[in-house]
Amino acid sequence: MAALWRGRHRWKRTNCLHVLTRNLTGKYDYDLVVIGGGSGGLACSKEAAQLGQKVAVLDHVEPSVKGTKWGLGGTCVNVGCIPKKLMHQAALLGTAVKDAKKFGWQISEPICHDWSTMADAVQNHVRSLNWGHRVQLQDKKVKYLNIKGSLLDEHTVKGLTKAGKETILTAKNIVIATGGRPKYPTNIPGAMEHGITNVALECAGFLTGIGLDTTVMVRSIALRGFDQQMAGLVTDYMEAYGTKFAWQCVPKRVDKLSSGVLQVTWMDNNTGNEHKDTYDSVLWAVGRAPETKALGLDKLGVQLDKETGKIVVGADESTSVPNIYAFGDIGEGRPELTPTAIKAGKLLARRLARHSAELMNYDSVPTTVFTPLEYGCVGLSEEEAEKRLGKDGIEVYHAFYKPLEFTVAERDASQCYLKVICERDGDQKILGLHFTGPNAGEVTQGFALAFQCGATYSHLLQTVGIHPTCAEELTKVNITKRSGLDATVTGC
Amino acid sequence: MAHRLLVRRIWTLSAKDIRCLKTSTVTTASSSFSTSLQSATPRVSFLSPSRTLPRSLPHTSRREVSFNVQDHEDFTERVINSELPVLIDFHAHWCGPCKILGPRLEKAVAKHKGRVAMAKVDIDDHTDLAIEYGVSAVPTVIAMRGGDVVDHFVGIKDDDELDSFVSKVIEQ
Repeated sequence: MAALWRGRHRWKRTNCLHVLTRNLTGKYDYDLVVIGGGSGGLACSKEAAQLGQKVAVLDHVEPSVKGTKWGLGGTCVNVGCIPKKLMHQAALLGTAVKDAKKFGWQISEPICHDWSTMADAVQNHVRSLNWGHRVQLQDKKVKYLNIKGSLLDEHTVKGLTKAGKETILTAKNIVIATGGRPKYPTNIPGAMEHGITNVALECAGFLTGIGLDTTVMVRSIALRGFDQQMAGLVTDYMEAYGTKFAWQCVPKRVDKLSSGVLQVTWMDNNTGNEHKDTYDSVLWAVGRAPETKALGLDKLGVQLDKETGKIVVGADESTSVPNIYAFGDIGEGRPELTPTAIKAGKLLARRLARHSAELMNYDSVPTTVFTPLEYGCVGLSEEEAEKRLGKDGIEVYHAFYKPLEFTVAERDASQCYLKVICERDGDQKILGLHFTGPNAGEVTQGFALAFQCGATYSHLLQTVGIHPTCAEELTKVNITKRSGLDATVTGC
Repeated sequence: MAHRLLVRRIWTLSAKDIRCLKTSTVTTASSSFSTSLQSATPRVSFLSPSRTLPRSLPHTSRREVSFNVQDHEDFTERVINSELPVLIDFHAHWCGPCKILGPRLEKAVAKHKGRVAMAKVDIDDHTDLAIEYGVSAVPTVIAMRGGDVVDHFVGIKDDDELDSFVSKVIEQ
């Protein structure tokens, strides 16, 4: 009944009424079918079930070029955030062991790292998460189907099992949360046969950390979309840490030599020269794209972004087709992050169950890059702030600090830095906050709350720091970029 | 090759000594054997001699302390329809505590030779079965008698606790 006054468009209203009538006669198998059992899909389906909806979630992993598959939970759990952070931790521990000697630990050098021990441990944890998700779906009474879903019409989903058996499901609403997969370069001979994919800097970082000789080949800039001054600090640290960088280089081809190694040929756009070198593995980290073709979206008229191939979505995650919604990585313009997918999924479920009208707020989303020197941020980059308010409209407070833990360990802290970008006038509302240093993720989370509450520079000054920490430097920051003064923090 | 392994197995089982070590060797060997069998010919199970092996070796099924459940049918036949009370060890290869509890359980079961059996269920291989029995965390051990669940526990227990658990199940 709520549908009658809720609908924004007349046709949609009639449609909703139609749908309600059909539902009353029990015409649909499910109230909601979610295609995609990742961070977003699982959160959405569980929330909907909790609100009394009859929900089914379809999860299927298309094997990679090399035949790799994984279990329930999506990218984050299986091949993203979770294994990434664990391997990042493995690398950090390697550094910690090296520092330990300075703190008095008697450790016999050299220490070496065993890949399979780490890989097995990480995989075991991932499997436990796959199982955990399976149990949760059961507990929350969500029907789980390990089948490949595609759309036949706005209320019908076709499912294909591994054995090729077909199932048809009808649903009042359909949600697409199938995320994305890494892209393989299409114009580089040998790329698909010999390469694997992942998130560039974070991977290069922990691979270097566990002792592997790693080179990052960058076509133009690192961390596109992020504050470039901070991106520079991140890569400077990595270079000092041992990761090699090939800037402004573009690979031309990859060949497998008889010895089994891979020969990469590339063009150095700085010099215009061509180079060749051999490597054991080649990882492509050139972006991610959704697998929309297999979903059958074109037949239904679901509007896709021409450039990215992602689904064009409204503020309420609706698509161009009524009753079909899309969110998470597959939504055009959406951050490719797990927390936003989870939250958006939950809110969408609430709206579909007519429980609330709250929309997802995609502003002020904090994030962290887990490179060897972690970088956490919330809000605008300096470039974006300048674009919106002009250089004169903002005040940037910054500081170079040294984590206490680095002192005894005799570690170089030249890239440990923070900046708070504020409005120049009035209360000096904080527009963006950036921090490089150990545990940047943990540090940034708390400040994200402040940001959400509309914190100003004066709020920051009023906050007493916790000592001795790196985070407290954010509460003490007072040198502006405009002043041109030395921003290095002196001891307490 | 299968036959040779078979012969070796019978020899080990018919040995009167069912020390903890021997038992776990048998189980490990049997689990690896059944795994390799599974990959070669699905549904063939050494441990259901009535189904696949020559009738001349039925005594092995009576002697076995623990076995890996192969499928739903196998579960029905050897757990639900078992004359003995059965301890079902729901475990996973990625679960550390399971690897600790497993041998301990075998030891406890072996102490009461012939009065209780133990079925091992890998929850990744038999997800539906595990879900059916409400397994959420592993290890979970369910005690069954005449097809009914009579007791259960989740997590690790030490040898004494396991002893009393098994005794309780048998005495019921």
